[in-house]
Amino acid sequence: MNAHGPIPILRVGSNLLTTVHIDLHDTVAEAFQQDVLLAIERTGATGLVIDITGLEEVDTYVARILADTGRMAKLMGAQTVVVGMRPEVAATLIRMGYMMEGVETALDVDEGLTLLIERQAKKRRST
Amino acid sequence: MVETVQSWEVPIAREDDIVLVRRKARALAQERGFDAFAAAALTTAASELARNVWVHAGGGKAIIEELTDGYRTGIRMTFVDEGPGITDVERVLQGGFSTARSLGLGVSGTRRLVEEFDLQTAPGRGTRVVIVKWTRF
Amino acid sequence: MRTLRTRLGFDQRELQSRRAFFDIQDEDLARLAELRELALKHMDDINEEFYTHLLSHPETKRFFPDDATIRRVKRLQREYFLGLFEGRCDLEYVENRLRVGAAHEQIGMSPRWYIGAYRKYLSQLLDRFTNELPVGEGRIGYDSVLKLIMFDMSLAIDAYIAANLETLGRHQAAIRELSTPVIKVQDRILLLPLIGAIDSQRAQQVMETVLLRVIEEKAKVMIIDIAGVPVVDTKVADHLMKTTAAMRLVGAQTILTGISAQVARTIIQLGVDISAMPTLARLQDGIELALSMLGQQITKAST
Repeated sequence: MNAHGPIPILRVGSNLLTTVHIDLHDTVAEAFQQDVLLAIERTGATGLVIDITGLEEVDTYVARILADTGRMAKLMGAQTVVVGMRPEVAATLIRMGYMMEGVETALDVDEGLTLLIERQAKKRRST
Repeated sequence: MVETVQSWEVPIAREDDIVLVRRKARALAQERGFDAFAAAALTTAASELARNVWVHAGGGKAIIEELTDGYRTGIRMTFVDEGPGITDVERVLQGGFSTARSLGLGVSGTRRLVEEFDLQTAPGRGTRVVIVKWTRF
Repeated sequence: MRTLRTRLGFDQRELQSRRAFFDIQDEDLARLAELRELALKHMDDINEEFYTHLLSHPETKRFFPDDATIRRVKRLQREYFLGLFEGRCDLEYVENRLRVGAAHEQIGMSPRWYIGAYRKYLSQLLDRFTNELPVGEGRIGYDSVLKLIMFDMSLAIDAYIAANLETLGRHQAAIRELSTPVIKVQDRILLLPLIGAIDSQRAQQVMETVLLRVIEEKAKVMIIDIAGVPVVDTKVADHLMKTTAAMRLVGAQTILTGISAQVARTIIQLGVDISAMPTLARLQDGIELALSMLGQQITKAST
């Protein structure tokens, strides 16, 4: 899928999967957000999995980029799940008082996709 | 008695320098046997404070020091800028400012990640933040 | 393996400042080198006398259980003794002396005994120096050896304390592990029975341990049972909430069990909001809830 920034975005069924493996700062962060939103627009994806297994630290700036991206995606009808957060990253954010409320999480990519697919199935059944 | 074993100075003149400061902190923490939790706490604190220097003062510098008290290794990081300073220090330390530009939670949260924290600032006189983290027993 | 010296941050600068403080001049070292002849002459009788002293006291005798040990330490002691008369006091010398302190910690001999042993050495040297050297020379020579032995003692104590702290650290790590015994109840369900008081240091350990275990086991649910926690106040509740929040960030859910009537009352009276996690009185119900979260249930095994 076309991306302007260095972070690739893959399509998995009706969901998008992106793996953040480099520092989300400055222009990279902006390009990432832009690429994700454009991909949702183009594909009509209803879910987005952001895999952050590769991030050794997440400061409040990066946490906010992730949370904002999730909120923006939601405005476009796509549910976001952040997956693969490392134990030390989670502990650090919590100690700083940053709970990342409003961001859905799962253990890994598999769990994240399963969560989205189950939710989408439930939604289809109820409508 | 705490002594400095070696020290490095990293200028913060561009946003990319925040990454350099953090990498230096991480490399040192890992070399000196900080566990994953302590290393993440230190590097995240470094990241917050370096960003603070960049966003609020447009630049400055970070001094990274390896310390020893004879038994344990410590890492001291000093962030210095000549920016506008902070007017309401108390509020910043309590995390009162949660603006989109990250001051507030960044600084107050950082305090909870390290063993020692010192902030000196005055309006128009710049800001100096010192943090220290030690290896655990 | 880093040397003891670097682990203690003992560098050239530290060596200079400590030598200055102990007043160890190059002349002292040169003088000691000149006394090597005399030292060699008395090495064996001093050594014998030294061990007779150590072996005649039960407190020190127990460190030398058999003849083999005694032969070995006597050999080491001779090396140590001659080291004083080599006319050097550099970083290599420091490393050597630090090892002496670390070795003593390892066998459990505390500083009071080897400080006493150093005293014996000094007495013996004073005796030989006074008997065999002209009056002035003996006194100056004794002063030089006194400086170096005191310097050695300071290093041995540094190393002893450092090694002791490391031992303490290992013990604390073991206690940490014992105080957060995470149990695997079933695939993807973990249980942490918390017992005893929870201060903020322990709370941090609990958080780190459960986070690591959840990732290791790919767990989906973590049951924390607080039946064994004597006091649940606002602080403890806050720690539990933070652990729950951290669990959520790595994709796991927390169930809190063991809520007694007393704890329920306290939590509500204190106005603490712990509605973010399911809470139950009995551990067994917690396990059932965890299973239902994973879409499973307890069934009786057919025999």
